[in-house]
Amino acid sequence: MNWEYIKQKLKPIADGLFGKQRITRYERPHYEIRKLDYMLGKLAMIPAIEWRHYAFSREPLNGKFSPSQRLEWMRKSIECGKIYAQRMIAEYESDDADIIAHRLGLEVFYPQYPEKTDRVLFADFIKPDRINIFMDAVNRAEKLLRKESVKKIPGDNIKPAKIILSHEIFHHIEEKYRHEIFTRTEKIRLWSLGPLHNDSGIYALGEIAAMSFAQELNHLTYFPYLMDVFLVYDYSPEEASGLYEEMMTLAGLEP
Amino acid sequence: MDYAIGVILLLTFFALAWYCIKGFNLMIGFLVITILWTVLPLGGTLFVSQEFLAANPVLLFGEGTGKTLVGILNRIYQSAPEGWGTTLVNVCWGAWFGRVLMDTGIASTLIRKTVELGGDKPAVTISLLNLVTALIFTSMTGAGPVIAIGVIVLPILMSLGVPKAIAMFSFMGAVASGIYLNPVNFAQYRAFFIKPTDMPDFTLGWYAAHWGYAALAIMLIVTTLLALFYLGRSKSHRQWAAQTRTPQASQKDAPIYTLILPVVPVILNIAFNFSVIGGFVIAGFAALFLCGRMSGTFRENCQLVNKLYYEGVVDTAPLVGFLLTLPMFNAVAVYASPYFNVVIGEIMPKSELVVCVVFAALLFMGLFRGPMTLVGCGAATLGVLSNVAKFSVPFLYGVFAIPTITVNIGCCITQSWVAWGLAYTKVESRDFLKLSIPNAYATGILQYAAVYFLLTGLGTAWMVG
Repeated sequence: MNWEYIKQKLKPIADGLFGKQRITRYERPHYEIRKLDYMLGKLAMIPAIEWRHYAFSREPLNGKFSPSQRLEWMRKSIECGKIYAQRMIAEYESDDADIIAHRLGLEVFYPQYPEKTDRVLFADFIKPDRINIFMDAVNRAEKLLRKESVKKIPGDNIKPAKIILSHEIFHHIEEKYRHEIFTRTEKIRLWSLGPLHNDSGIYALGEIAAMSFAQELNHLTYFPYLMDVFLVYDYSPEEASGLYEEMMTLAGLEP
Repeated sequence: MDYAIGVILLLTFFALAWYCIKGFNLMIGFLVITILWTVLPLGGTLFVSQEFLAANPVLLFGEGTGKTLVGILNRIYQSAPEGWGTTLVNVCWGAWFGRVLMDTGIASTLIRKTVELGGDKPAVTISLLNLVTALIFTSMTGAGPVIAIGVIVLPILMSLGVPKAIAMFSFMGAVASGIYLNPVNFAQYRAFFIKPTDMPDFTLGWYAAHWGYAALAIMLIVTTLLALFYLGRSKSHRQWAAQTRTPQASQKDAPIYTLILPVVPVILNIAFNFSVIGGFVIAGFAALFLCGRMSGTFRENCQLVNKLYYEGVVDTAPLVGFLLTLPMFNAVAVYASPYFNVVIGEIMPKSELVVCVVFAALLFMGLFRGPMTLVGCGAATLGVLSNVAKFSVPFLYGVFAIPTITVNIGCCITQSWVAWGLAYTKVESRDFLKLSIPNAYATGILQYAAVYFLLTGLGTAWMVG
């Protein structure tokens, strides 16, 4: 029994008598921790179309949609992302996200922005033309890629920063072509009352198409939602395992 | 000598303010100050002049006075906290009801349905969410329910491109505005001013009709307008982030007709003066049955009700010690007041208009558990103010509710659920306060104006004692 042990045992009493107010802490749910290469291997096998349940689970209006609507929108959004990726490659004669971003006149910044476990931020697109790629998440992912067992799944030459940048470039493209691009022109009528009505865009369509755009531009064999697990893992293997469980379950697979 | 004791008491008051602002344990702070304020005023009677004692019969005890020292001590340390038992029971049942609304999915369904009305227009969605959040918190209270709703509302707002600091400030402001009509909070704060059995006409219904609705509306409207103003000035963000979903976010929708249940206890209480606990029991069991949560065996159903009660009481546990120490302090303040009167009686505001103006100017002192908030050092200020001047109970309630609810609960980082929100959204305290302090002042000044126009000149029937 050392002094540290005694201090630890006495701390709650000391806190109660003289200490700071105990504030309510936010505690995430707990999950079984799994190995990264195992999870990436499983997630890489999920076909793009099967990611729709995960993609729409983050959509605020998800409760309004029918399964057939989700399926149709998933198909169209994937197609939209691919078409615009091919268009950019043809227009700018490159599939390099950095070159395309430069030619589109985007300002790309690489701040460190350290994040903690429960909401890891990878990147941020600020209208109309600014992108922040948060290097803390990227550096941690690159550290994981040094492991042979992990490297074989995302691919040998994979650059997490390029995938993230590609995704954010698509949001700029959405802005640029907002009057014609599917992810912006598609609307859902939320309610109507006589001549009054509220038609809303669908946030998830842009996210799905941005993933498809990143997949096409970077010639990935998997759908980039997998990056959610990969980029979170070094912050919190448990949170990444939770995301993995959710992705697998929503895709109708056994985690 | 009375002056010297008064100065020492004043110094202990400032020491308590410093202690609260530093964030130390409130229960222990108030217990220590209660002991000091017992020893100094009662022990001081041995040294003060006979004229002073004759002018302040409250300090007389012993032979021929009909009061004993033990009787006074019993009143402070036994009767006063016992009297608060009635308030505490309301807190426990309110916490149970909050847990029921979370468990049945009623609270989360209400939020999701609201978002489905607003769609991708952040301004419309913020306005609707603020309104619904305020309605929900007219009956739910405590850190547990705020967190349960926060984990749904905050990610939705952020996914719509609302900057996280604005989402946080707007949500916390909406929660606080609902608390203006919350029967549990009303009973809790009412007990700072009078015993639960005193002044039976000062009900939630009376309070709501005379000022409560106005206070809620002012805070809700100002918070929403400020959020929209801040939103208009900020650049729209689209973020790529990853986070596991909370169980609340993936809960099944509750039946649409159950969405009225959160406001049933408040409506019953305001409209019919129906018992608060009765309202919680009726609406709580209706929620459990209508949402299919009571479809198990009798034994399972009992276990569920018990579990929800347990979780609810745990939600309120950090507050209970503080709540049961405060009445001792409120009781002892009566004995300290004659000494305060000697030192600061002349400078304390005695007109209702001056009180409103001074409190509005000093709203910042409601932050960091300072000397204006009842859930901080404000209990001591109330003890001083109410004993050196005569004001009506509803007026004093309004005067102290504003720094307590608008400033402390809605805008201060020492509020437990605001501290949770900062950790959850990763908003810097400074960024939150930059948005919330202007709200505290804009809302607070308008609410003090409402206090002045609606709660002044009420007459002696509404005075303490």
